[in-house]
Amino acid sequence: MSATRIPPPQPAQRVGAAPKKSEQPTPDDGPDFRSQLHAWLESHRASLVDSLRRLAKQPIGSFFTCLVMAVALSLPMGLALLLENVDRLGGSWQRAAQISLFLNIDASEAEGEGLRELIAAMEDVEEAEWISREQALNEFQQQSGLGEALKELPENPLPGVVLVTPKEVDKTTLEALRLRLAELPKVQQAQLDLLWVERLTAILKLGERFVFGLTLLLVMALLLVIGNTIRLHIENRRTEIEVIKLVGGTDSYVRRPFLYMGALYGFGAGFLAWLVLAYGLGWLNAAVVRLAGLYGSDFALAGVPLADGLSLVLGAVLLGYIGAWVAVARHLNELAPR
Amino acid sequence: MIRFEQVGKRYPNGHVGLHELSFRVRRGEFLFVTGHSGAGKSTLLRLILAMERPTTGKLLLAGQDLAQITNAQIPFLRRQIGVVFQNHQLLFDRSVFDNIALPLQILGLSKPEIGKRVGSALERVALSDKAELFPGDLSTGQQQRVGIARAIVHRPALLLADEPTGNLDPRLAAEIMGVFEDINRLGTSVLIASHDLALIARMRHRMLTLQRGRLIGDGEAV
Repeated sequence: MSATRIPPPQPAQRVGAAPKKSEQPTPDDGPDFRSQLHAWLESHRASLVDSLRRLAKQPIGSFFTCLVMAVALSLPMGLALLLENVDRLGGSWQRAAQISLFLNIDASEAEGEGLRELIAAMEDVEEAEWISREQALNEFQQQSGLGEALKELPENPLPGVVLVTPKEVDKTTLEALRLRLAELPKVQQAQLDLLWVERLTAILKLGERFVFGLTLLLVMALLLVIGNTIRLHIENRRTEIEVIKLVGGTDSYVRRPFLYMGALYGFGAGFLAWLVLAYGLGWLNAAVVRLAGLYGSDFALAGVPLADGLSLVLGAVLLGYIGAWVAVARHLNELAPR
Repeated sequence: MIRFEQVGKRYPNGHVGLHELSFRVRRGEFLFVTGHSGAGKSTLLRLILAMERPTTGKLLLAGQDLAQITNAQIPFLRRQIGVVFQNHQLLFDRSVFDNIALPLQILGLSKPEIGKRVGSALERVALSDKAELFPGDLSTGQQQRVGIARAIVHRPALLLADEPTGNLDPRLAAEIMGVFEDINRLGTSVLIASHDLALIARMRHRMLTLQRGRLIGDGEAV
């Protein structure tokens, strides 16, 4: 090999120039804002492409990491969706929480209708229905099978009723509403079956707490999974990181590809979790429809709404990003060039 | 350009790397630092690169006190220094072009500018036809040239080299030293840590001699 001849020189730069913002060209390059912005975007694009390339290089490993994260995501999300469905099913149960206001026997049709309007306008009331004495008797005759016997009575013994559907099914709220309604004029008795309501509220609250606790636990597990995965990537690229630091790479420059990697893992996991939930609920729905049909109901499970699916993917991307950030922050100091 | 004023480095385990070292390096100077293993050559380079901080004294690089700079300033300091290692520290999963382009990517230069500068650096080390190859495809001497190209591509004012010819045969070593001299002629200060006294003597540049962390000689190599 022959000795090297060097072509005409470019002047060396001055040492000790004031530090500028990260990844900016040296002062002699004199870049304007546009070229700096372009360079910054280019740097991000390069990090993203590099991260994608590295994930694609190990497709099986990357897929299984995403799958583990997807399972961790789909469990609480799936339970939350089931709870939503139960809540929807419970819409009919809510009717069991209706308050029946039995009016005085001498209350007129107009008074009953006036009372209904007054109650329907209340903030904590979903709706109010007026059942006149005649309607009540008709219904009773039809349902009881005592139609002929009842016709023999000298007068209608049934009072007019206002059926009140409250907005909240919380026990305390319902009881307070019942007491207020009982104070209204012409109301003889306000009746509420609280046991059903209490049971429903307790079941829903237990479910909500369970899902919340499970979500917290699985989010932590997910952060650990992503953190550990990123730590392995950092270990594999230790030499590269040391060289980058030696030639003037800032911490943010070193951190960037790992953050993209975390976010990409999150994206893959979120998307997989969406698929798992969509197919899982579809599979479960067939059995639910059959069961509901046996009870004469047309109830069916709702799938994953688009907004929920997108939130799931976005949340997973965010978790991946946070997990990667924590992992890089923990290990960055250990990566000082040697 | 570089000023050591009573610079000392003591490690937490009590080992003293450097004893009250004082000397100056002028802008555009070519300088060797020599001494046996453990004499403190690498410690000296590590202090200039801010990989370590002096425990006593003042170390000024173009007027900037390296004992006082913050961790956030260190990357910006390093962007103005080129470093060549004995083991090249090349990234074997990247092409020669990408290895050399790394400091420019960190600076955020545009793709055309990077292409231009990498091309120029490759020409300087006579590896223009190797840009698309990977370091594993090159000989040891060529790898060292890639390391040098990476160290000069961002036009640093100071070039540091730690035993750059340690793994090379005498002919390749002389060739690499020729490259350093060419770079020095461009105005870049060059500081080389080496224990190859025969090679140093042939080049007739200023030489600092260290022994157990003390400066025991400062003069032209003979």
